[in-house]
Amino acid sequence: MIEQVIFYILTAIAIGSAAFVVTSQHLVRSVFMFFVTLFAVAGLYVFALADFVALTQIVIYVGGVLVLLLFAFLLSSKNSLDAISEIPSGLLSANRLPAVFIALAFFALLYYVFNSVNFESLNWIQQAKAQNNIISVSDNTVRNIGVNLMSKYLLPLELVSILLMMALIGAAHIARKEPKTP
Amino acid sequence: MNFYLLYILVALAIFGFIAAFALFSVYAERKVSAFIQDRLGPMEVGKYGVLQTAADILKLIQKEYIVPTLADKVLFGLAPIIIFLAVYLGFVALPWAPGLVPASMNFGVFYVFAIISVEALGIMMAGWGSNNKYSLLGAVRSVAQIVSYEIPIGFAIISAVMIAQTLDLQVINQNQGVLATAPVQFLGFIDVKAVGGILAWNVFQAPHLLVAYVIYFIASLAECNRAPFDLPEAESELVAGFHTEYSGMRFAFIFLAEYAMMFLVAMLGVTLFLGGWNTPLPNIGTLKLANYTTGLFWGIFWMMAKCLTVVGVQMWIRWTLPRLRVDQLMTLCWKILTPLAFLCLVISGIWKLLLF
Repeated sequence: MIEQVIFYILTAIAIGSAAFVVTSQHLVRSVFMFFVTLFAVAGLYVFALADFVALTQIVIYVGGVLVLLLFAFLLSSKNSLDAISEIPSGLLSANRLPAVFIALAFFALLYYVFNSVNFESLNWIQQAKAQNNIISVSDNTVRNIGVNLMSKYLLPLELVSILLMMALIGAAHIARKEPKTP
Repeated sequence: MNFYLLYILVALAIFGFIAAFALFSVYAERKVSAFIQDRLGPMEVGKYGVLQTAADILKLIQKEYIVPTLADKVLFGLAPIIIFLAVYLGFVALPWAPGLVPASMNFGVFYVFAIISVEALGIMMAGWGSNNKYSLLGAVRSVAQIVSYEIPIGFAIISAVMIAQTLDLQVINQNQGVLATAPVQFLGFIDVKAVGGILAWNVFQAPHLLVAYVIYFIASLAECNRAPFDLPEAESELVAGFHTEYSGMRFAFIFLAEYAMMFLVAMLGVTLFLGGWNTPLPNIGTLKLANYTTGLFWGIFWMMAKCLTVVGVQMWIRWTLPRLRVDQLMTLCWKILTPLAFLCLVISGIWKLLLF
C-alpha cells in the first residue's frame, strides 16, 4: 500500500519536474529541476529492483553530467543565451510543433503497446517463473551484475572501456598546451 | 506501524547526533586552533568557554534571513537544504556497532559515494543563486575540486573493496575482527581470525591499503573543502566563497553540513580501512582482550574514538598547512594521487589473485 503511494508520488514528481524542465524560460532553474527528475527516476529504478542502476544514475548524472551542463552554461556567452530566449516559445509555435507531435505520437505508441500486451502471459516471463529465475527484494543484485559483466558481457564491456579510453586521450590532447612554434 | 515510528526515531537520532557533533567540534576546532597558534581561544562563555558554540547557535537562530535583491530566491533558499540533506542521507548506510546500522544495504559503499556527490550540486546552486561573483567563483572552484578528487577517492575505496570482497559496509566491518565470517590474514598469509584486534584491520591485512588510506584521507579533505584545500572559501580572495551571502539559519545549515561531512568521511575511511567498530586490542593467549572489547557499546565507543581521532587530525592539518594554489591542487590530484590510487587498485587485484 505505502509502496504504491510512494511510487505514484515519485512518478508525479518525475513527470511534473520534467514538464517544468522543458517549459521553463529560466535555463539554470531548468537544469536544477532536471536534477529532481533524475532523482525521481532513480527512485523508480529502486522500485524495479535495479538499485545499482539507481545509484549509478545519481553518480553519473548528478555528479557528472549535470555539473558538466552547468559549467557549459556558465562558460557560454551571454549573447547566445539571449538569442535562445528570443525564440518564440508558445506551446504550439512553429519550432515546438514537431516536438509536440513526436511526443504525442510516442505517447500513443506506448499507450497502444501497454494496452495490447498482457504482461503476465508473455512467453519469457512465464518461462522465468517456471524456472524460478526471479530476483527478490533481498537479493544481492550487485554480485549478479559483477559476475555477468566479467563473463557473459566481457567483450561489450571491453569495447566500451576502449571507447572511454579514446575519449580520455582525446580530451587530454585537446587540453594540452600548444607546443611553442619558433 | 511501530516500524515507521522506528524509522522516524532513527532519522531524528542521526540529526541529533550531527547537531551535537557540530556543536562539540566547532568548540574543539577553536580550541585546537588556539593551541596551535598559542592563544587561549574562547574563554568567556562558561568555564573555559564551553558554552561558546551554544551561544553562537542561539545568535544564528535569532538572525534575520537576508536575501540579496538580485538573487534567484528559489535556488538561494533551497541550496543549504540540499547541501545538508546530501550529507545527512550519507549517514544512513554507515554502521555504528555489530548489528547497529540505520539501514543495512548490500551496496552501502556505493550508496555513500553516490549520495555525497549531490553536495556539489547544492554548492553550485548556492553560488549561482547568490548572484555574486565571489559566490560564483567559490562555487565553481569547489565543484571543480570535488569532481576532480572524486577520482582518487573512488579508486582508493575500490582497492579496499577489492580486498574486502563486498560492498556491504556492515560485512566489511565484520571481516576486520574476531566476528569475521571470511578468512582474515595479517599481511596476507598469517591467519589472525582468532586473534583479531589491530592485526585484522584492512590496512594490516593488505599493507598497500595504508597508501590507499592516505590517498583517501587527502582527497577527503578536498571533498570537505577544508584547508589546505579550502580554495572555495579562501578569505583573502573570495570573501567567504559560495556562502558569502548566507546568514542566520541558512548559514548554520551550510556549517552543519561541513562538520557532518568531516565526520562522514572520517567514518567511511575508518570503516573501510581502520577496522570500523572493531577493537584494536588483540587476543593474547588466554587473555581474550578482543573478545571482551567487542560488542554493541564497545562498537560505538571504538567507532567514536577512531572517528574523533581522524577528525582531530583533520583539524590539526587545517591549522598547520598553508592553502594550495589552484594549479598545485590539480597537479596533486591528477599527477600524484590518481596514479598512486591506480597503483593501489592494481596491487589489490594482484593481491587477491595470488593469495587466494
